[in-house]
Amino acid sequence: MTVTDSDRADGSSATAPPILRLTGIEKRYGGVHALRGVGLEVAAGEVHALVGENGAGKSTLIKIVSGAEVADAGAIELDGVPQPFGSTTSALGAGIATVYQEPQLFGELTVAENMFLGRELRRHGAVDRGTQRSRVVELLERIGLDPELADVRVADLAVAEQQLVSIAKALSQEPRILILDEPSAILTDREIGTLFRAVRAMRESGVAVIYISHRLDELAQITDRVTVLRDGEVVASKPTTELSVRAVAELMVGHALQSDVVDRSIPDTPPVLAVAHLCRGGRFTDVSLHVRAGEVVALYGLVGSGAGNIARALYGVDPADSGTVTLAGKPVALHSPADAVRHGITMLPANRKVQGVFGSKSIAFNISSAHLRLLSRGGLWLDRSRERRVAEEFLTRIAIKAPSVATLVGNLSGGNQQKVVLARQLVERPRILLLEEPTQGVDVGAKDEIHRIVLELADAGSAIVVVSSDLPEVLQLADRVLVVRGGRLTAEFPRGAGQADVLAAAAGDDQTVEEVSLS
Amino acid sequence: MTTPTVAPPPTPRAPAPARAGARGGLGRLLRLILVERVALLTVLLVVVVTWFWILGDNGYLIARYDSDYLAAALDTLVPLSILALAELIVMVSGRGGIDLSVGSIVSLAGMCFGFMVGHWGWPVAVAVPATILIGGLLGAVNGTLVAYLGFPALIATLATFYAFGSLALVSNQNAPISTKPVQDLHALTSAVDLSPQIPSFPLQVITFLVPVVLVVWLVLNRTTYGRKLYAIGTNDVAARFANINVRQTRFRAYVASGLLAGVAAVVIVAQFASARPDAGSVGNGMALPAITIAVLGGVVVAGGIGRVAGVVIAGLLVVWLNAGILLFFEGSDGSQFQLFALGALLVSSALLNAWTLRRGRSAG
Amino acid sequence: MTALVEPAALRSRRRPVARAVEGQELALVAVIAALWVALSFGTNTFLTAGNLSNIVFAVAPVALIGIGMTAIIVTGGIDVSVGSAAAVVMVVVAKLIRDSGVPMVEAIAVALVLGVLLGTVNGLLVALGGIHPIIVTFGTLNLFRFVALRLFENKQVTGVPSTLQWFGGGETGLSIGVPNAWWLAMAVAAVMWVYMRHWPTGRHWYAVGGDPAAARLAGIRVHRRLVAAYALTGLLVGLAACVLIGSGGLVQQNAGTGLELQVIAAVVIGGTSILGGRGTVLGTLLGALLVGTVTSAITLLGWRSELTELFIGVFILVAVGVDLLRERRRRSA
Repeated sequence: MTVTDSDRADGSSATAPPILRLTGIEKRYGGVHALRGVGLEVAAGEVHALVGENGAGKSTLIKIVSGAEVADAGAIELDGVPQPFGSTTSALGAGIATVYQEPQLFGELTVAENMFLGRELRRHGAVDRGTQRSRVVELLERIGLDPELADVRVADLAVAEQQLVSIAKALSQEPRILILDEPSAILTDREIGTLFRAVRAMRESGVAVIYISHRLDELAQITDRVTVLRDGEVVASKPTTELSVRAVAELMVGHALQSDVVDRSIPDTPPVLAVAHLCRGGRFTDVSLHVRAGEVVALYGLVGSGAGNIARALYGVDPADSGTVTLAGKPVALHSPADAVRHGITMLPANRKVQGVFGSKSIAFNISSAHLRLLSRGGLWLDRSRERRVAEEFLTRIAIKAPSVATLVGNLSGGNQQKVVLARQLVERPRILLLEEPTQGVDVGAKDEIHRIVLELADAGSAIVVVSSDLPEVLQLADRVLVVRGGRLTAEFPRGAGQADVLAAAAGDDQTVEEVSLS
Repeated sequence: MTTPTVAPPPTPRAPAPARAGARGGLGRLLRLILVERVALLTVLLVVVVTWFWILGDNGYLIARYDSDYLAAALDTLVPLSILALAELIVMVSGRGGIDLSVGSIVSLAGMCFGFMVGHWGWPVAVAVPATILIGGLLGAVNGTLVAYLGFPALIATLATFYAFGSLALVSNQNAPISTKPVQDLHALTSAVDLSPQIPSFPLQVITFLVPVVLVVWLVLNRTTYGRKLYAIGTNDVAARFANINVRQTRFRAYVASGLLAGVAAVVIVAQFASARPDAGSVGNGMALPAITIAVLGGVVVAGGIGRVAGVVIAGLLVVWLNAGILLFFEGSDGSQFQLFALGALLVSSALLNAWTLRRGRSAG
Repeated sequence: MTALVEPAALRSRRRPVARAVEGQELALVAVIAALWVALSFGTNTFLTAGNLSNIVFAVAPVALIGIGMTAIIVTGGIDVSVGSAAAVVMVVVAKLIRDSGVPMVEAIAVALVLGVLLGTVNGLLVALGGIHPIIVTFGTLNLFRFVALRLFENKQVTGVPSTLQWFGGGETGLSIGVPNAWWLAMAVAAVMWVYMRHWPTGRHWYAVGGDPAAARLAGIRVHRRLVAAYALTGLLVGLAACVLIGSGGLVQQNAGTGLELQVIAAVVIGGTSILGGRGTVLGTLLGALLVGTVTSAITLLGWRSELTELFIGVFILVAVGVDLLRERRRRSA
């Protein structure tokens, strides 16, 4: 099936019959209605953007298309033929390849070996390296990577290169439909150029590309059509040329009422935390900000923006290379979490499972783990009754649903696990609390609960920095929103700013950025 | 040996409430035995002791398997259990924690002990703490390699197993030290008769084993250090975010292992009335049985899980089972069947572990 | 989490993986060569045909088993039962050729089959039992030793005829002045080198060791690859047992004790990562040769033989330490 340029020029794919057609896709997870009758049509030779806020249903939808999940209802048609997908291999067999955000590559094997792993080309039984290599070189050239990379160990590649290699790997399977899940999130501008060349090459060869992205500024450059998902429903599906960044942002957030806007007044005191010209090579540059006691400041940025790195630098886990941090007027050095904790800074990490919980240990163990000195006699002997009392107090105070403090954290729901990790930060009231994605993978009830706790803590006089890519959460919590883009603070909004404005600023609508001057 | 991809397993105590309700008390008891390692080992221990006792009473054994015999058998328990506790500590510390060098530390620290007492005439009260300290120092070498320099524990302790063992052999030209003062050390491990009701048992049980078990239990369960140790073993990234000094905590685990090996060295020199340069490396060495007992006692290789009670009961089980087997066979056959029992116990308990974990996962 | 990457990363050129040898192997060759040169000047006995032939004969069993162990460690596993397994094979084969007069070919066949059998037991327990390899093989270390001791029937096997003298260390075991055992080790290493570098299933071992879950997703039969690695090691244990019986004579009850640690040391010195996913049999061969050279050197220099193990320990630390440094530099670059 070939697509002529004229088909695309008018921005509609009506002339070409869709290669993939989804109709009435429904999916529920427990009580959550993730997809509500989603329909989608993708034509060959089309780059089709799928956008939506976190939780809008994008990832559920691509999981269903790639066979990783099965829809509760609805139909998937390829070339008009209904498909009974239920496994990734059958989807792959039908020509649907997916590139996820984390490259699934083997570090000790070369790029060429990775591409053909499990389906090696053989000659006399041995791997036919020559043929494999020439195929790989061809693919690498096609997507604009250095062909010499074919014989380099994947472990020696930069993360961005690995990302591009996994796209090349997907291409080597000669898919008819290629799903790219936020391929640009971790790429720099130069690498995005390479990516776009690769995507355009695919379009030329008639591959249908489903392109998921948060960077709305990219859409006009690379996509032909945009489908916007909101709360599990398609709210728009239009040619890209008919949509501006601003329009897409408005479609994504809808006209939902601002959920009970908190009205907080911050006393005009000198800042507790003042950061000047903070840098960490390759992660963030020249970050200056300040937070007052009782103030909630949000760092809002898309995945890979560097917002999380700023928080981790302030906690001393991944220290900054240069710049100054002053606490209540005194300059401090934050080289390790110990430094941070000594100055009253604590952090709720983003990845609960990896960085947060001790899954096979009790709630009491998890809460006390960061306060062993406090909960001890003379720093040596654990004061177990006090430990239990503290944990029990939190069980009721922040409503952790568990039979007792001896319950193992691994057996709790995500929301309750997150509350346990949050409780750990609250045992000694922090002067400054850093929160990274505080409600990721948490149910709605627990989310409200966590927001309430954070605001209470602010009312009690703690300074709070929230890093989040969840826009409603940011607007709900923050007294000020700082937008992080490409490792720099690019805009600032006061409480009550419009969702679409903030989103557009973070997603790269430069006009909006200019309108809002940095204070 | 550390497969980094192995996720820290969910606890073996993960409840499966839906199934529990259906069965009665018996079912619950059975589940407890299968899931709770200490319960399983206790049941096994009772079964083994009762069985051999009955066999002995009915003349199937070459000697009576009675309380006197059981008490006397404890002398092999002491060094073995102390080293198994050392393995418990390093294995709990996570990241593939293991100490293959404990046997060589026993040899080297034991030779130092021999020199201090046998050649330099140091008083025992000074030489014993000095020996334990030397053990700790050797453990610190392992700790530095593993915690601060990032060597995989298996490699680091394999290397020091060779190096320490070699130094022990070289120290006295491959000859044991058994001068008069060293021989007199045997008094430390004589049998004690407290009263006619209590069978006489080796002195080192109360002078060394009980204090060591108590101290290790207290450190692991009642101190802040114990908490940190379990925390880094369970999830060392989370531990870092919880402001725990991961490297220092792991380093100290290896030092503790060395200290315990130093204690075992003292016991072994006293027991044999001689400081032998190959004390800790004869046969397959002392590390292997110690690791075996730790694993049998429910210590998880991936780290973060393991209890003193499990290790101590596993030690008792192995020692008393071995003692029974020894009476069941004529000649050296018994020692061969001990190997069989140890291997079979280890593999079957590991299979049981894997099975309960899998069930726990599918039920949860 | 995710990271922004310096634009420089894309432009930088990395040396493609050397096709034939890795850096660690070259370094080992250099160290061994330097030692040989130094020893040939330092002693007048080192560089004699007899001594060199003794060295390579002594390390042949370690090298043979090490080739299999390399595969196991590449998959992220380990096998500490090889010493006991070797004892089982040795006692069975020694008794067969002594008591039943079994000829050479049959004896070799029995050794290989028995070795594969024992290795497969380990492999099945690791792959299907879901038990950590070190625990499985600690268990089978005891079980195999038990089997061996039962078969010994409390006495060492004496008067073993020289049926397997082709493998042995005597005059009859030499070809072109080099012990057949070493030729054998080199031949097996060559075959395995080709297999692990050029055969799909050989490459899959590296993938299994890198990330078993992802390997399974890529369509690799992970269980089968694991069992294959342990069975292969068993096969080579059988071969090594033939070398150890060699010209016959005596098979002692403690045969093979401590062999596992020597083998692991040779593999690790050869640059194989204990964490899995990386390693070559060529390195293992060189690692074994280095250990053999040092052992011989210490004897010839009149040093205390106990110092050998000190050097092995230091070599392990240096080899792995260099590797750690290299990885760290690579990550920070």
